Amino acid sequence: MTTNLQTQPDPRVPAPAPALEVRSLVKHYPGVKALDGVDLVVRQHEVLGLAGENGAGKSTLLKALVGLVRPDGGEIWVRGEKVRLRSVVDAADHGIGMVFQEQSLVPNLTAAENIVLGSEGPGVRRGIYRWSTMRRLAQEQLDKIGSHIDPLARTDTLTFADRQMVEIAKVLRIEERTSHPPVIILDEPTSVLESKEIETLFTQVRRLREFASVVFVSHRLDEVLDVCDRVAVLRGGRSVGEVPAADAAPADLHRMMIGSTGSDDHYHGGAGERPDEASRPRLVVRGLSGKSFRDVDLDVHAGEIVGIVGVHGSGREDVCRALFGAEPTTAGEVVLDGEKLDLSGTRAACAAGVGYVPAERKTEGMVGPMSVADNMTLTKQQSRCTGPLVRPRKQATLVDRWIERLSIRTPHRGTAIQSLSGGNQQKVVLARWLVAGDVRLLLLDHPTRGLDVGARSEVYRLMRELADSGVATVLLADSLEEAIGMSDRIIVMSDGRATTQVAAPAGGKPTPLDLVKEMV
Amino acid sequence: MSAPVLTTPAPDAVVPGRPTVGQRLTSFMPVIALVVLLAALTVADPGFLTLSSLTAAVRTSAPLVVLAAGATLVVLCGGIDLSIAALCSLATVFFALWLPDLGGLTTFAIIAATGAIGALQGVAHVLFRIPSFIVTLGGMSIFSAIALVISDAGPVRVVDRDATNWLTLYVGGVVPMAFVVALVLVAAVSLVLRLTPLESWIRATGYSESAARLAGAPVDRVKIAAFTVSGACAGLAAVMLVSRNFSGSPTMADNLLLPAVAAIVVGGTAITGGHGSLWRSLAGALVVTLLRVGLPIVGVPSAYEQILYGAIIVAAVALTLDRSKVLIIK
Repeated sequence: MTTNLQTQPDPRVPAPAPALEVRSLVKHYPGVKALDGVDLVVRQHEVLGLAGENGAGKSTLLKALVGLVRPDGGEIWVRGEKVRLRSVVDAADHGIGMVFQEQSLVPNLTAAENIVLGSEGPGVRRGIYRWSTMRRLAQEQLDKIGSHIDPLARTDTLTFADRQMVEIAKVLRIEERTSHPPVIILDEPTSVLESKEIETLFTQVRRLREFASVVFVSHRLDEVLDVCDRVAVLRGGRSVGEVPAADAAPADLHRMMIGSTGSDDHYHGGAGERPDEASRPRLVVRGLSGKSFRDVDLDVHAGEIVGIVGVHGSGREDVCRALFGAEPTTAGEVVLDGEKLDLSGTRAACAAGVGYVPAERKTEGMVGPMSVADNMTLTKQQSRCTGPLVRPRKQATLVDRWIERLSIRTPHRGTAIQSLSGGNQQKVVLARWLVAGDVRLLLLDHPTRGLDVGARSEVYRLMRELADSGVATVLLADSLEEAIGMSDRIIVMSDGRATTQVAAPAGGKPTPLDLVKEMV
Repeated sequence: MSAPVLTTPAPDAVVPGRPTVGQRLTSFMPVIALVVLLAALTVADPGFLTLSSLTAAVRTSAPLVVLAAGATLVVLCGGIDLSIAALCSLATVFFALWLPDLGGLTTFAIIAATGAIGALQGVAHVLFRIPSFIVTLGGMSIFSAIALVISDAGPVRVVDRDATNWLTLYVGGVVPMAFVVALVLVAAVSLVLRLTPLESWIRATGYSESAARLAGAPVDRVKIAAFTVSGACAGLAAVMLVSRNFSGSPTMADNLLLPAVAAIVVGGTAITGGHGSLWRSLAGALVVTLLRVGLPIVGVPSAYEQILYGAIIVAAVALTLDRSKVLIIK
């Protein structure tokens, strides 16, 4: 299976047919050209990185490769043979499998059941589960990737990283269907992993290369370059080039993705001016306690971005939700601009000028089938109403202005928000709090989760501009680097308590190591 | 990216995306289904398409339209109201019993009372976090039993016909007043939804309750309001039934529950919530009524009637439901 591994770089030997080849693939959606003639070659036994901003067409391309999207034009070739992929099963028959960004495991089944689900083979005989066979099959899969997960553990008891291993083990079952080395697609596998887990994942990916080809998609360019042999870049639905990972730097890739030089100055810049220490803080939290946090004190000044960092289970997400009235509290007091904040519900918080961007954008942040306009004005209804009546023209003007100000790429304000790319969706969700111009405190729970470099930069810049205009911000960052880069001050939470406070002014930023010491 | 977010115009030209022909078509599907059905019935029996049979059909449909319209609001919020028919039956009994004392005010009293009962169910659903299916299933049973007790398990005659006489009139000599009232109700509620933030809130609640809550939408109050309107509609439907039957009966409307649910789904309203409208339910109710009234008229043997009815309902939903607006089809 691995015979051509050594010969491949030799140009004199005719290269074997690529494991997968895409030729000028085209896919239109109403108002959007998602794929506009994409070419892509995945060689055998290589890890190919796929980079591109949100909306560059990555997701559509991947979906076309596993038969979830039917392209309008172009060809897909598998090992020198033209194929037509109509479903995931079709793709699996051709040896193409994908680990989805949103995990697709059934939480209340065992790891073994999940691994064989849909491809039970000898695990089911005459309609009856054969547990011993299934367990053996699952164990074989787990052994293949060198994982030590107990196949009989319930999936929801596993850590996120372990669940990802189960997904990979599951997707490798397609080897049963084809005699050739499979092509495994990993869509954003690292976006919710801790750094140690990422290392484990990378070890797996390198191991996978020995018996499969891998397409690796991530927004973190350093990761892409670290684990891949070659990186292909998409922009605006087209292939704009590819680079060998060994000679490229993240900045090069970034430049290709956005078509110009990227700058990260906003990221490590601090607030324009330091908040006046003497002035009274805009938000004062004293002794806030709830189910997963105790005695949390927190001050945020107007114009200040305060990051809260902590490991999983530190309770920082719940503190954030509690401040928005979406998580019950048992004790403590919250004062916003001298007035006691009503924590009984989200509506009271909204009325008091508190905004919240949830981490789960698709299920909590937005209402997918509703239009961009209706999503944007969902909270501040008064911004589109005169008295109790909705003024469609007032809404249209307002929404169009924000679409332009935030460069939201949407065919129309009436387009369903779910058909936008992640970064544009997030901008709409953020705009929801801005349209009325009355937001005083913004609670951002992983506002850049799943966003690409370009969209992330825009969210950072927006956060900074909002802070400069006087909004107090609480940030639960996606990574320590992000927390350090964006925050003026960082609160470390551990085991439900706010343990340490670290100043992070521009020019005096702490290192990640300083924070990690406090977190554990 | 390198330009300030708040000042640069969109890098891509924004092309206004109009709904495609296909999308436009799906929103008219309930009406198309209605027209096709009418045509089919006429082909089967050319004598069907007469003014008198159409008048009879829309007159029969009025209570069903009202029931379905009210319950549509609950469905749009992502719930279901199974108690409408039982509540309607109870209200016919109340009407017959209250009429001697209240006279002309009985209609308003009935609508207020059933609205309050609906609100009570809404509060139970929201406050105790019991699924609406269960709350209204319990309500259905309770209302039926109360109706049986207070009516001594039999019809209660309405002697004074003046209070309901106006519903039996014909507007312009042809359109039954009851149907006009149903139309006005659908139009008025639809207009209120469209002109106020209510529609946004209801849709958001139906599509994704947690997202609606985190956006600060008054989810609980919207749900209670939906149940209140649904209850009040059951009361109005009861008045219509009394005006036709000149009596109240503890089981009078019980056979309208499934047709009402059928009307909602045939109209293309998603049973999972969020997507749909009262207009759709109006068209759906007319389809259901035409089937009920029309199939015997055109001479379908009664044994086959149920088979055809069931098959057409399923086919109609296949036609009218816009699947792109529904995330999960359960």
